[in-house]
Amino acid sequence: MTLWARFRSWLGATLRRSRMESEMDTELRFHMEAYAQDLVRSGVPQHEAIRQAQIEFGGIERVKEEGREARGVTLAESLVQDLRYGVRMFVKNPGFTAAAVIALAVGIGANTALFSVVNGVLLRPLPYRDPSRLVVVSLLNQKTQETFPLCDADFLDWRAQNQAFTDVSAFSGNRFNLTGAGVPEQVMGDVVTAEFFSTLSVKPALGRTLLPDEDRPGSPHLVVLSYNFWQRRYGSNPGVIGQTLVLNGSSSTVIGVMPPRFLPSPETALWTNLVMDPPTFRGPYYLTGQARLKPGVTIEQGRAELGIIAHRIEQQNPLTNSNMSFRVTPLEEAIVGDVRPSLLVLLGAVAFVLLIASANVANLLLARAATREKEVSIRAALGASRARLTRQLLTESVLLAAIGGSLGLLLARWGVKLLLELGPGNLPRFEEIAIDGRVLGFTCLISLASGILFGLVPAVQSGRSDLNKSLKKGGRNAADGQGRSRARSILVVAEIALSVVLLAGAGLMLKSFLRLQAVNPGVNPDNALTMQISLPQQLYHDDGQLISFYQHLLEKVQTLPGVESAGVGMSLPPNLLEVTDYFTVEGQGAVSERMLGLADLVFASPDYFRALGVPLIKGRYFVAADRADTAKVAIVNRTLARHYWPNENPIGKRLKTGGTERPKNPWMEVVGIVGDIKYSGLDAAPEMVLYEPYQQAAWSSMYLVVRTSSKLDDPASLTSAVQNAVWSLDKDLPVAHIRTMKQLLSESVEQPRFRTVLLEMFALTALSLATVGIYGVLAYSVSQRRHEIGIRMALGAKRSDVVRQVVGQGMVLTSIGVGIGVTGAFALTRFLSRLLYGVRPTDPAIFVFVPLLMSCAALLACYVPARRATRVDPMVALRYE
Amino acid sequence: MDKQLDLLQGTLDMLILKAVSLGPLHGYGVLLRIQQISKDRLEIQQGSLYPALYRLEHQGWITSEWGESENKRKAKYYRLTAAGRRKLQTETENWNRMANVMAGILGTKSEEV
Repeated sequence: MTLWARFRSWLGATLRRSRMESEMDTELRFHMEAYAQDLVRSGVPQHEAIRQAQIEFGGIERVKEEGREARGVTLAESLVQDLRYGVRMFVKNPGFTAAAVIALAVGIGANTALFSVVNGVLLRPLPYRDPSRLVVVSLLNQKTQETFPLCDADFLDWRAQNQAFTDVSAFSGNRFNLTGAGVPEQVMGDVVTAEFFSTLSVKPALGRTLLPDEDRPGSPHLVVLSYNFWQRRYGSNPGVIGQTLVLNGSSSTVIGVMPPRFLPSPETALWTNLVMDPPTFRGPYYLTGQARLKPGVTIEQGRAELGIIAHRIEQQNPLTNSNMSFRVTPLEEAIVGDVRPSLLVLLGAVAFVLLIASANVANLLLARAATREKEVSIRAALGASRARLTRQLLTESVLLAAIGGSLGLLLARWGVKLLLELGPGNLPRFEEIAIDGRVLGFTCLISLASGILFGLVPAVQSGRSDLNKSLKKGGRNAADGQGRSRARSILVVAEIALSVVLLAGAGLMLKSFLRLQAVNPGVNPDNALTMQISLPQQLYHDDGQLISFYQHLLEKVQTLPGVESAGVGMSLPPNLLEVTDYFTVEGQGAVSERMLGLADLVFASPDYFRALGVPLIKGRYFVAADRADTAKVAIVNRTLARHYWPNENPIGKRLKTGGTERPKNPWMEVVGIVGDIKYSGLDAAPEMVLYEPYQQAAWSSMYLVVRTSSKLDDPASLTSAVQNAVWSLDKDLPVAHIRTMKQLLSESVEQPRFRTVLLEMFALTALSLATVGIYGVLAYSVSQRRHEIGIRMALGAKRSDVVRQVVGQGMVLTSIGVGIGVTGAFALTRFLSRLLYGVRPTDPAIFVFVPLLMSCAALLACYVPARRATRVDPMVALRYE
Repeated sequence: MDKQLDLLQGTLDMLILKAVSLGPLHGYGVLLRIQQISKDRLEIQQGSLYPALYRLEHQGWITSEWGESENKRKAKYYRLTAAGRRKLQTETENWNRMANVMAGILGTKSEEV
């Protein structure tokens, strides 16, 4: 039968409802009369025949109802009926409805908001053709399992020997000073090899991308703009193609504009071609490799091939490349791999919150079901089938969930905004977070699921209730059936258990975050202002010019009122590390390749240490007299000194950057040892750091650190004065990344703070929901047992006995819940281990504190109804009966 | 007379289709026809006939129209549609095949295994 015919039958039946009813009536009456006549004909007396015909026919109303159902009339009709009835019930019980809807809206809203983040960051495919075939390649030290960027030579070797990949490309993030027309500006961009765009297989929105040979020596400077940057800086003017920009002092021609949402980082403003000269040694290491697997080639095959290439390189360059291989990571993993564990943990946590909210609503429904027992029994007695009653109750709960869900969606819109504001600015794919169709689908799904989930318990319970018994009770004191009270207890236990798991996770996260914040960054974070300056190579092309610029700048800044000291350095704590390099220690490393060390390399001015507040342990800081024409000197940090000269005085020892492949690098004499500073994040292990005086090792891009007078409230108040000092030397120079040291420290822990704050919020919500849950169960049980309590007190029970009994009942539930919760937490917190710093997932303090906290909250929740129980007046309670 | 058998799940629909395939019948007539051709060996709950009739009509296997009964009363007559006829045929084939298989299985003796 076609769908159309079925629809017509349904429509006809619905429209001609009254006719159908009367026809059905006629038909059934005809049947019974005909049968009765036959009975009379066989000798049964008239009145007896009619009675017998009725009995043998069965319940006529039931037949009619089944008949309506068979015609498909009732489903839609009874749904409308149920909905109308449900709405009436909700309006009549505003307190109940509000409590349930709010709990659901919070639960569903939080889930929706977090799911939109997960959807945008983890689920939506990257905006490239066949993104799963894309990989990212870096260097891997097989001994330490550390990864590094590639150097030019690594990339060229790979590209020359590649078989497994179609386009082999590389890129490196860079800062660009954009000068010429308009305000000078520092923007983030990538230098990329020619195949970068074809690897990703994205066509430009405007113009063209790079051609295959445009990264070879002698290529002109070309630039491709990002869509955002093109909109912002050039007002979406298509005439920008062919124009010339001045980037880092050199003229570059704009050849294209990429489409919006091309790269996961919205900060990237442009891409320039990386012109690679044939390398003379291996280094510096700054490139990320990127390639697309050939059709039919698996990532394992790609890994195997790169392993062979790495082995060849290792044999040819034993000094630099011993133990070095390539690490091949799927691009998706490389972009979101860092945040995936935290997002999944948060999604799990927020799902727990919804479960607890659902349990709470189920409890409310159960309490209400007790008062509705009589109504349900009457309906059952009038012929409503159990399935029909269950459907009615489920309709009500799904309706409740739908209201909660719609409200939750509104909350989620606001929640997503909050998440994005609260969220770390460096969250990848940040721009793709929005409430889209998939998120809407998710919300509908969880609303429906939670509606069925919390509706099923009371529905099943009411199906079980004994019709006769509840009718006999006459509605009064329709006591909690055994089954119902057990269901409520189980729900409360589940709520407590889930909350304990959440609290344990949140506690661990908080402890870890506090540990992280307590890490000594090695600097004095107060009264320090920092900013970043990059001198364009075109205008400052020799070391003398660079050195003299910074020298003049420091002289000017140091004389500003409110400035105590000022210095420049290549990198900045706690996580702005720019360069690492190999080094050789005289007498220890030149012969044995294994001893070639790797250190953070920082070129710094004399007052860099003073401005940061790095303690001098031995020897001296750099001085102005450490010039290009004087003896080469270096300062090392404590970790490096201990590692190489554990039992000797390091002062006076010599070391140099590079190994035997860079024989021209001069030996430097160690003149000082300074305290350790974190350059790779607060959670990083101590690293070796090698400092060189900026006058002996010039660098174009430096961080300026200004220590301000402690009398100044806010070091940032000096910003414009310092900026003006920069611009008085070069009015075209952009000053970027202006932060106080406190801001830098705070920004460096944005991601852990984000997940910690969220998890705390979820855990507190869970705790309060569970507390309300246990309160509700006890308050209800006390109100049901007024009579019993009254008798007990009339018979001489003391108030303390009553309190003890009620509290005891609650605490039994609590201890069962806490027990299950602690067990669950033991099993689940190890999924947090990747996110924890300095705390084990089974931290004993947390596992003691959390059950205690939960029990205290529960005790409080039990005490209130217990007090109320003692106020029961025996006389009133008895008379009421 | 043998003890009456309860209907197997789903067989009532087939019985109704068979009954009306022999000529248009009103509801009571369907009941009588089934009792007649089954020689009273099947127990049919009278009331359960009508939901089944409505379901079959809703599904399009049978169709109905009002007519006059033998004793000049208004009654609703059901007849088989073309689709119903095809349905009855396939159901009959299925049933026979099933009955054969079941008979074969249930008739198996231990030495045949």
